[in-house]
Formats: sequence, C-alpha cells, structure tokens
Amino acid sequence: MLSKIVFSVNGRKVEFTGNPLTRLIDVLREDLGLTGVKEGCGEGECGACSVIKDGRLVTSCIIPVGAVNGSEIYTIEGIRDTEKGKCIIDAFAEGGAVQCGFCIPGMVMAAYALLEGNPHPTELEIRKGISGNICRCTGYDLIVESIKLASEKGGALWA
Amino acid sequence: MGMTYIPTTLSEALHLRAEKGARPLAGGSDLMVQSKRGIGLAPEFPYDVMIITGLSELRGIRTLDDGSVEIGALATPAEIAASDIVPWHVRQAAAGMGAIALRNTATIGGNIGNASPKGDLPQPLIMLDAEVVLASIHGSRRMKLDDFILGSKKTALGDDEIIRSVIIPPHGFTYLFYRKIGMRKANAISKLSLSAAATVKDGVILDFRAASGAAGPKVIRSHEAEDIIRGHMTEELPSIMDSFLEAWDGAISPHAMPLYRRNTTRRMLSYFLSAIHEGAAEGIISEEAE
Repeated sequence: MLSKIVFSVNGRKVEFTGNPLTRLIDVLREDLGLTGVKEGCGEGECGACSVIKDGRLVTSCIIPVGAVNGSEIYTIEGIRDTEKGKCIIDAFAEGGAVQCGFCIPGMVMAAYALLEGNPHPTELEIRKGISGNICRCTGYDLIVESIKLASEKGGALWA
Repeated sequence: MGMTYIPTTLSEALHLRAEKGARPLAGGSDLMVQSKRGIGLAPEFPYDVMIITGLSELRGIRTLDDGSVEIGALATPAEIAASDIVPWHVRQAAAGMGAIALRNTATIGGNIGNASPKGDLPQPLIMLDAEVVLASIHGSRRMKLDDFILGSKKTALGDDEIIRSVIIPPHGFTYLFYRKIGMRKANAISKLSLSAAATVKDGVILDFRAASGAAGPKVIRSHEAEDIIRGHMTEELPSIMDSFLEAWDGAISPHAMPLYRRNTTRRMLSYFLSAIHEGAAEGIISEEAE
C-alpha cells in the first residue's frame, strides 16, 4: 500500500502525502505554483489543463494525484525553455495564434505531444491533435497554421 | 466520506475489495467528474475508494492460445485503438472516445464498470460475444459481458470482485460496420451507435449480428432478430429485410428522442444489409469519407 506518492514534475522530484484524490491540477497550481496549467471546465473536456504524463497528453483536472505515482509530468513551465518548446511558442507568436491566451498553455502542450509523435502533420492531423482543446477567441485557424509553422521551422528538431 | 487506498499489487487490491468494500478508481475520467466539487477541492466519495492505476497485473493486450484477445482492465482507449490484434469494431469505438487526452486516461474496465448505456466500448464488445474476467480473493470467473451489464449503471459485479480483463473470441467476418453519432467529432458522448457484422460464404449468410448503443437502458443485441437473417442467401435479403428491421425496432427501447433513434437505427441497418445484398467488396462498409 502506498502512503506517499512520488513522481516528477518538469524533471523535479515531488513527494505528496496528502489526500490521494486531490486533483493533479491542484497539486500543480496550488502546491507547486505552476499556474500555466489553467482550469477551464474541470471535467476533462476543454483541454486548458493539459499536461504531458509519461509522454502522453492528459487533462490534469480529472486525474487524482494518487494515480501518478512513478510518473513523469511536464507542464508548459517545463517545456517553454527547451528547443522544442521555444519552437512552438515562437511559431504561435509569429503566426498570431494567441488572443486572450487562456487556452494557449494547453494548446502548446497538445501541439508538443502531436509533433513529438508526428513531426509533419497534415492540417487534418493538426486539427485532430488539438480537437480536445477548446479556444473561444481565435476560431482555431491561426493556431492550426502556427502548429504547421512550428513543424516546418523546427525541421530536424521534430524528426 | 470514505477512505482512499493505493494498492500496489492485485492481491492487495482484492483484499481491500473484500475487507473494506473499496471500489476501484482506474483512470478517473468518469468518477472524478461525477464526484467533482470544484476548483481546489478533492472529489469526495461516500464509500472507500482504491486507486488501481498502478497495478501492472491489469495492463496489456495479448492473444490467447485459442485466438481470443485478452485486454487488461487498465488498457486505455489509445492503447486499444493502436493495437493491431484488437478486433476492428472495438478499435473503431476506442478511437472515437473523447479526445486524445481522455483516450490516454480512461480505461476499458472503467468504461464497462460504469455501465452507461452510452458507453462506447460495451457496444462492439457485446456484439462480439466478449466476456469479462472478474477476480476476487476466492479466484476468478468469466461471464458474457451482455450478462454482466444488467442495465443503466447496473452490473453483476460482486461485492468482493474487480474487473480484471475482457476476452474477445476470434471472428472472421466478411462485412463490418461501425457508426457512432455524436454532437461533434471530439469529446462527444454517443447519441446513438451501431456495430454490425456478417459472414457470407457462397452467397449464404452464415453469421449476422448487430448491437445498438444509446438505444435503451443497456446495449441492445437481439439474437431473435439476428436469426431472421442468419442462414439465408444474400439474394433473399430484400424479402426478409422488413421483418428483421421490425424485430430490431421492437428490441431497442430508446427513452429520449425515440423517433430519431429508431429511424436512424433502421437506416443504418438497412444500409449495411443493402450493401451485402448488392455484393459490396468484402471488408468495411463505410457510409462516407472522413
């Protein structure tokens, strides 16, 4: 039986001994101060709280911290200064993908997970890749174009 | 409010189940949402819960000696959709669940245990005569998934049991059909779904089966209706189609929007059967391009 939950966030070891049903998003935001993780719907539907868990995109609002023992979690704060992270974020700026910005950390994480598995996605594959992330401002087109731009500009970075 | 445990072995989990009645929480995509209390607050359950996400005994997808495929209870829709040994209908259903993040989180055990009539995986599994393997400290038992799911949110799970895996027997269908209708492509809860399959040899329909999701308190399968088709020649389909469609219509019992659900189910079934009658190329009968 586990009494302590041990996992890593952005490469840093985290030990958690509180209520195992605490939502991962609350541990990330409240305990670790990683406020780039946004809460939109709280039901895993909008993608604003998206993080990468063991290489896969997940919504941190529906995952209890008791389910991440031994996992590696990355948030927007953990990738923003990496080559790949910078590539996506610069492409979003250049492509005008951001309006209010609330959905953007989740969008960037979804784009990151997409390009990691598919370095040169088609437009349809990009749209499917961000289909779990809702944006109320942009109408998505500039986000899709910016992910395409990140794929092109990143080149060998994603291969 | 109940206690929360994190067992590290299946044996530990089975003891918690037997001794504390703790209920399993796997991915959390249903339970965490059903019991959510808002920002900064952990969900609360009126019973003991055990988080079983880490149990390696419940993972993996494998082929058994008799050609059946066994899917561990913790397999996610993403893993199921990407597997090349899982039958096509089940992969289709898994690929259409939620969006990417949900497909990386939800589990087949949870989707079955939650027993929602709109759940995506039970529908093709019941059509394929899949069985669930239930484990307890006293051993394990197998039963047909169609018998395990009793109704909306009701299952035959014993107080000391957990879902260990799902076993799908092998099939060699000639024609396959799957359709899920939702409000949008991503993150849509099924409004209506249908799986169908047929095995045709020398013009004889040796096997025909279907399953309707979100068209009653549980997935609907009508062996009586299927028997109207089975054993007939494909050229006889026009003369038996109406009695089959009537029988299937009598088997489903959609609660909300019944006319829509009945008409659309009828259209999907007749589309599939017409394709077989017209001698469509073997394989997947699809209605339209993506």
